[in-house]
Amino acid sequence: EKNITLNNATIIELSCKLDKKYSHLKNLQVTWKWGNETIGHINKTENSWSIRLKILDNSKLGSYRCTLKGKEEIGAVFHLQVPKIGGKEKPIVSYEGDTAVLICKSPDYTPIAWTWYMTNGSEQIAINDSLMADKYVISSISANVTHLKITNLAQEDDGVYWCEAAFELGKSKGKLKLKVLSLMVPLKPFLAILAEVVILVTIIFLYEAYSKKKEK
Amino acid sequence: MQAKDSNPPDGGYGWVVVVSAFMVMGLTAAVLKTFGLFFVEIQQHFDELASTTSWITSVTIAIFHLGAPVASSLCVRYTHRAVVITGGLLAFSGMALGFLGLSIAWMYATIGFLQGLGISFSWTPAISIVSHYFSKKRALANAIASAGECAFALTFGPFFQWLISQYGWKGALLIIGGIQLNICVCGVLMRPLASSCLPEASHSGTETPPGNTASRIDKEAKPPITHKTFNWMLVRQPEFVLYAIFGILAAMSFFVPPLFLVPLSYSLGIDESWTASLLSILAMVDFAGRLLCGWYASLHVTKTVHLLAMTITLISTSLMLLPLANNYLSLAVFTGFYGFFFGTTVAVHITVLADVVGMPDFDSALGLFMLIRSSGGFVGPPLAGMIVDVAGDYRAGFYMAGATLVLSAGFLVTLDQLQQRKERGNKTNNKPEKPVLPYPSLHLLKLQ
Repeated sequence: EKNITLNNATIIELSCKLDKKYSHLKNLQVTWKWGNETIGHINKTENSWSIRLKILDNSKLGSYRCTLKGKEEIGAVFHLQVPKIGGKEKPIVSYEGDTAVLICKSPDYTPIAWTWYMTNGSEQIAINDSLMADKYVISSISANVTHLKITNLAQEDDGVYWCEAAFELGKSKGKLKLKVLSLMVPLKPFLAILAEVVILVTIIFLYEAYSKKKEK
Repeated sequence: MQAKDSNPPDGGYGWVVVVSAFMVMGLTAAVLKTFGLFFVEIQQHFDELASTTSWITSVTIAIFHLGAPVASSLCVRYTHRAVVITGGLLAFSGMALGFLGLSIAWMYATIGFLQGLGISFSWTPAISIVSHYFSKKRALANAIASAGECAFALTFGPFFQWLISQYGWKGALLIIGGIQLNICVCGVLMRPLASSCLPEASHSGTETPPGNTASRIDKEAKPPITHKTFNWMLVRQPEFVLYAIFGILAAMSFFVPPLFLVPLSYSLGIDESWTASLLSILAMVDFAGRLLCGWYASLHVTKTVHLLAMTITLISTSLMLLPLANNYLSLAVFTGFYGFFFGTTVAVHITVLADVVGMPDFDSALGLFMLIRSSGGFVGPPLAGMIVDVAGDYRAGFYMAGATLVLSAGFLVTLDQLQQRKERGNKTNNKPEKPVLPYPSLHLLKLQ
C-alpha cells in the first residue's frame, strides 16, 4: 500500500512489479482498477504491469489498485492524494480581550491560496478579513505559512478553526482549537496560593515570637 | 536559639534552614532551567524571531549573576532573611507583571530583569546561610540544599507543560509567580545567627539582654568588626584569585554539554522521546551525585579541595570519553557518568569556597565568585559553538569542555599547593613564637 502526494498537475506512471518469490506463477491476469472503473491501457514488461495516468484535476485522485489473478490473488494499492495539512493537536489557550495567532504550515508543498474557516455549530463559515478588519487579520510571511490573528477575544471566539490550503489538484484542511478563558480562571489558583503563603508566613512569625518569649 | 557564627549549630535548627534552602534552590534555579518550555509560546505570541525571544532568558541569567554580589553585600548589612524575602517578592512581581504580556520589551523587563534580580536575591543568601549554620557537616548540608534544584527541575518539566496547556502561557506565568512567593515563606524560616546580627543588636528591641552583652563581648574579643561591608580586598588574596580562575574555566565548560547533548543525540539518530529520557537521566544522577558527595565530604576523609579536584578530573574523563558513544546505550552510560560527577562537583564547590576564604568573608566571596564566574558562563557556549562550527561535529564541543576542565583542575592543584605551603609555614612560625612569650616576662621580673 503506498501513499503518493501530488502537488501539481502531472503525468504519473504506476507499476506493479512481481516479486521473485512469485515468478513461478504463470498465466496471470492483471487488472488495474480505480474504484469500480477498470483501466484499459496496461503496459506490460517482463515482470511488471504499469499504467500511465494524466492527473489534471481533483477528479482523477483516489485509490488505484492492481490485481494479479492466477492460482493466488495478489495486489497492491496506490493512494493518490493532495498534500495534507497538519493542524495543532493541543488547543491554543488565550484570554478574553487578548490577541491570538493561529498558524498553519505546509512546509513541503506550496499551496496556491489559504482560506480560514470558523465553526459555528455544525457549519463552517469562511472568515473574511476585509469585512471585519479590526477583528481578523490574515497574513502570510511566505506562501507556505498562514497566520490568522484574532484581536479582542471573546467567549464566542472559542471553538474549532480550519485552515484550508488550495492546491492545483484540490484542497486540504487543517484543524485548530482555540480556547478562550476569562481572567478569573488562573486567578483562582493564584489567590489560593497567595492565601497559603500569607498563612504560612504568619504561622512562622508567630511561632518564632512565641519561642523567643519562652526563652525570656 | 541564636547561636554564634564562630560556633555554628552544625545541626538542630540548621536542618530547618537546609530544607528551606532546598526549596529556594528549587523555586529559583529549577524555574530558570525549565523556562525553555515557554519559549515557543512567547515567540509565536509576539511574532518575534527565536534570537530575540532567547534574549529574555539571557537577561535573566545576566541579572542573576550581576545581582549576586549586590545580594551578598545586602546580606552582610541586613540579614539573609530580609534579602531572601525581597528576592521572593521581586521574582513574584516579575512573573505577575509578565502575565500582562504587553510587549517583548515588557517581557525583557519583567521576566528578564525583575525575575533575574529576584532569583539572585533569593539564591545567593540561601546558599550562604547554609554555610553559616554548619561547619563540620557543611559539605553535607550544602549538598542537600543544592539537590533541591534537581528534584524540582524533574517535576517542573511536566508540571509547567500541564500549566501551559490548562491556562496558556500567561496564566501559567501568574501561577508560577504565586508559587515563587513561597520563597518568602522559606526566607522567614532563615533565622539569622547572632554574630551576623551585630548591627541589629543595637536596633531590635526584641533582643534579650544576655544576648546583647554576649555580642558586645564578642565585639571586644574580635578586633575591628570583621567585614560588615563588602570585602573587596578578597581580590588581593592569591587563594581567592586561583579559585576564581578555576571558577571561570569550570563555568566555561559547564554550560556546554547540556547545550550540545541534544543535537549530538539527534545526529546519532536517536529520536525525541529517547533524547528527553537522556535529560531525565542527567537530572536523576545529578541529584544522586550531589547527595552522595555531600555525605562523603562530611566524613572528612579527604580534604574538600582534593575531593573537588578528583571530581573535576572524573567529569573531564567522562566528557572526553562521551564522543566515543555511537548509540543510545553508550550515550546514556556516559551521560550518566557525566551527570553524576557534575552533581558531585556542584555539591562540593561552595564548601571549598568557604574553606578557601573562611566564614567571615564568605558572603562577599560568594557574590564576587558568582560575578567572576559568570564571565566564563558567557564566553563558554559561543566559544564552543565556534569550535563546533569549525570542526563540523558536535563532539568537538565535548572535547573542548573536557580540556577546559583539565586546565581548571590545574589551578585547583596550584591552590592546594599554596595552601599546604602556607600551613607548613605557619607551623614553623608557631615554634619560635613560644620562647618569645616568656622573654618579656623575664625582662619584667629583672626590672622589678
